[in-house]
Amino acid sequence: MTFLPEDHEALEEFMSQAVSDKTSLHVAGTGTKEKLGDRVTADASLSLGRLSGIVDYQPEELIIVAKPGTRMDEINAALAEKNQMLAFEPANLASLYGAEHAGSVGGIVAANLSGPRRISAGAARDYLLGFTAVSGRGTSFTSGSRVMKNVTGYDLSKLICGSMGTLAVMSELTLKVLPRPETSTTLSVKCAALAQAQKALSAAFKSATEPSGGAITHARSGALSLGDEPAAAHVRLEGVAQSVTDRISTLSDILAGFGEVSVLEQDASEAFWQDVRDIAMLDETAEQVWKLSVAPSVVSDVINMITAQTSIRFFCDWAGGLVMLSGAGDGLNQIVRSAVEAHGGGHASLLRAPDTMRAAISSFHPQPAALAGLHDRIRDSFDPLHLLNPGKMGPALT
Amino acid sequence: MLMPAPDKTTLSRRGEICTALKAMLPAGCVIDDDATMRAYDADGLSSYRQMPLVVVLPETTEQVAEVLRWCRDNDVKVVPRGAGTSLSGGALPLADGVLLALGKFNQITDVDFENRCVVTQPGVTNLGITHAVQDEGFYYAPDPSSQIACSIGGNIAENSGGVHCLKYGLTTNNVLGIEMVTMDGDILRLGGKHLDAGNLDVLGVMTGSEGLLGVVTEVTVRILRKPATQRAILVGFDSAQEAGQAVSNVIAAGIIPAGMEMMDNPAINAAEDFVQAGYPREAAALLIVELDGPEVEVDYLLERVGEVMERSGSSSLRVSQSEAERNQFWAGRKSAFPAVGRISPDYLCMDGTIPRKALPEMLTRMSAMSQKFGLRVANVFHAGDGNLHPLILFDANVEGELHRAEEFGAEILRNCVALGGVLTGEHGVGVEKRDLMGEMFTEEDMKQQQRVKCAFDPGHLLNPGKVFPLLHRCAELGRLHVHHGKLPHPDLPRF
Ligand SMILES: Cc1cc2nc3c(=O)[nH]c(=O)nc-3n(C[C@H](O)[C@H](O)[C@H](O)COP(=O)(O)OP(=O)(O)OC[C@H]3O[C@@H](n4cnc5c(N)ncnc54)[C@H](O)[C@@H]3O)c2cc1C
Repeated sequence: MTFLPEDHEALEEFMSQAVSDKTSLHVAGTGTKEKLGDRVTADASLSLGRLSGIVDYQPEELIIVAKPGTRMDEINAALAEKNQMLAFEPANLASLYGAEHAGSVGGIVAANLSGPRRISAGAARDYLLGFTAVSGRGTSFTSGSRVMKNVTGYDLSKLICGSMGTLAVMSELTLKVLPRPETSTTLSVKCAALAQAQKALSAAFKSATEPSGGAITHARSGALSLGDEPAAAHVRLEGVAQSVTDRISTLSDILAGFGEVSVLEQDASEAFWQDVRDIAMLDETAEQVWKLSVAPSVVSDVINMITAQTSIRFFCDWAGGLVMLSGAGDGLNQIVRSAVEAHGGGHASLLRAPDTMRAAISSFHPQPAALAGLHDRIRDSFDPLHLLNPGKMGPALT
Repeated sequence: MLMPAPDKTTLSRRGEICTALKAMLPAGCVIDDDATMRAYDADGLSSYRQMPLVVVLPETTEQVAEVLRWCRDNDVKVVPRGAGTSLSGGALPLADGVLLALGKFNQITDVDFENRCVVTQPGVTNLGITHAVQDEGFYYAPDPSSQIACSIGGNIAENSGGVHCLKYGLTTNNVLGIEMVTMDGDILRLGGKHLDAGNLDVLGVMTGSEGLLGVVTEVTVRILRKPATQRAILVGFDSAQEAGQAVSNVIAAGIIPAGMEMMDNPAINAAEDFVQAGYPREAAALLIVELDGPEVEVDYLLERVGEVMERSGSSSLRVSQSEAERNQFWAGRKSAFPAVGRISPDYLCMDGTIPRKALPEMLTRMSAMSQKFGLRVANVFHAGDGNLHPLILFDANVEGELHRAEEFGAEILRNCVALGGVLTGEHGVGVEKRDLMGEMFTEEDMKQQQRVKCAFDPGHLLNPGKVFPLLHRCAELGRLHVHHGKLPHPDLPRF
């Protein structure tokens, strides 16, 4: 059975009982990203679906306070009404995970999921101003605040973001919001090769045109063979209309040096970036989906090294620094992770795979021993009995 | 402010400790004579002074690791120090602690325009990074007023901000990676030229940890292309309350300026006397709003901000017509601290943040407090993000005035918290606000923070006495309080 607390008090009581009984918990928001991260084996389930609702939304203060189970569609609708947004552009991974909706705001934050605007506006972790939670010790605590600028005490928001429910269970969170850009336009340039497309993005991001997205697609669907296959670079410009018009002309001149430039206007631009954001450009049926984060300048070398060994589909975001790829086979893990390590480091995370494979390899990139030890001690400082989502971020060392 | 009582054994072992440190570091890297050590006895919070046990200036990461490991093994405390400009006493030495200064880590190691980042040693100044990339039209965005002096390592430790944080974020939003050394002497690399941790965000919690969790030995920051155009507007108001409301109105109009600063009448006049920036002396409050981006965008936003200001009751408005004039507008604001230093023998600079909408209320309370304590106050604010810098004027030579100024400051910060804000927006807690932490956090909130500290430094050897009012032993913090009560909501669904 699943425990569904409706308020903070019920959550705290339940958790403190779980601590007394040493009951390990499978913690989920609305359960849409169950298959993200490693597999959890726990005694019982805790769902935050009913700990839901917008607590306070102050558009002129640029903050929204919500309970963790609040669905993203509710948050997005409330913000849209005031012409605002979550600037980190959280993905809707419903189709990737076969879920019915984009999930809860707590889940997005716990997974630190950010979309294309990550490159210019920052990640989920940059927008979590504060939270209240119950730790794996069964005690409630608050960190951060509801104001933009705060350095009082350790920034535990950063630890909570991306901790996949392994440190504490949030009962309320405060996010910074920003005005929605008036217009969105995308310039695309056809390139002879991936390396060329990356250079085009680099030129765009080095210019004063303030791109808010930079993606690379590969013309051919299915297995990728590089050679002289054409690629395309896509640069998004957002902002007030006059400004975007002005920047389009500057950027067109820059990109023209790389190949033929075409323009996606408003709706087409938004649709394109939504596909990038939601990882909709990969093979729906692929066995595995991986997410690689590397320095943008090495991306074509990383891809070349991988495609020399196996066949994949992929696209890039974050000016080239993010690779989303799909492929198959037991060896893919080794191939992608060593490609990342051979090119200055970064990480390769497994986003989707059959359960047997998820049981065999960690979704998370292996860490050096000293850092893994520190992660373990940090986790222990919140959850000494390993009650919260045990195994979700890999096995504990201790 | 009470610091933990120095450990007598450590004090008595000073000779032996210096000898050991000299053996592991190159010649000239250990300073143990009083005359030279004197230069390190305080940071920017100069009302607090303390000679360190000894000063070390290592030259390599391995040396930092060796010093820390030795100090851990020998139970000796360590205080990291960058450029010593902290305004909260974060780098205040301990009588029984080694002061580990990063002054020799002063090289930029990699300027990478392709990935738009810079890799640097932590002792390089904030402005030094911009200098290394400005010829190519780039800059490092966070711009503390102390940027010619403060180190990037110190910026990370304090999560420093500046006038342009409103649009470009604090240090934490601009750091991509660090190399750090733990008190155990482990060398860790967090992040790099790629984005996100892909695991627990240790870099995120290191940023703003005030030198309590580890020593930063290398930094990777992102650099931004300089905006095509920057222009500033000076707007005068007859009442500070109206000016505060105008700030909220700009944000409510969907505009995020590059910076939005506010000065009250005493600050305006002190600055005007000092640099003749052309500020309206009669105004009760002045806003400086900076807009940047492509010229057409800046022109358009200037007009819209102008409309908002007029609607909010502005009494004067000037738009900078040249780069020289823009710099002149900023000159007054940027020299506000020294300008106030001229009209008062001493001043305390506070640093609370409040919700923007509480600005008018806070200003009203501030005048009342000024009366109550009988001390003048000049206000400069990073108004756009609600970060206040009230400067409390006093004379340390007058018996009791320092104490009164500190009481006044504490009351301001209590009011910040009461209005929904925080104790510090960018200067850090350090020793200065340590005993006020309980205003904002419960005992359990602080305990959880200290448990994180224990994950890094279980012996509390790194920068103890800072940030937390009570030093709980890690063993005590780790204890679980399990209660075997009945479940209070038997009607709720459970497993
Ligand atoms: C005139 C003036 C104006 C200022 N204006 C601003 C402003 O606009 N915005 C703002 O945010 N701050 C401002 N400050 C405060 C100060 O400059 C910042 O806090 C700055 O980041 C401190 O850097 P530092 O190198 O001087 O650090 P220090 O003062 O030497 O140390 C500060 C803290 O960082 C730790 N530390 C330093 N280096 C390291 C390292 N490598 N590894 C681990 N820990 C380390 C120390 O232990 C200490 O706790 C101002 C200060 C002055 C004097």
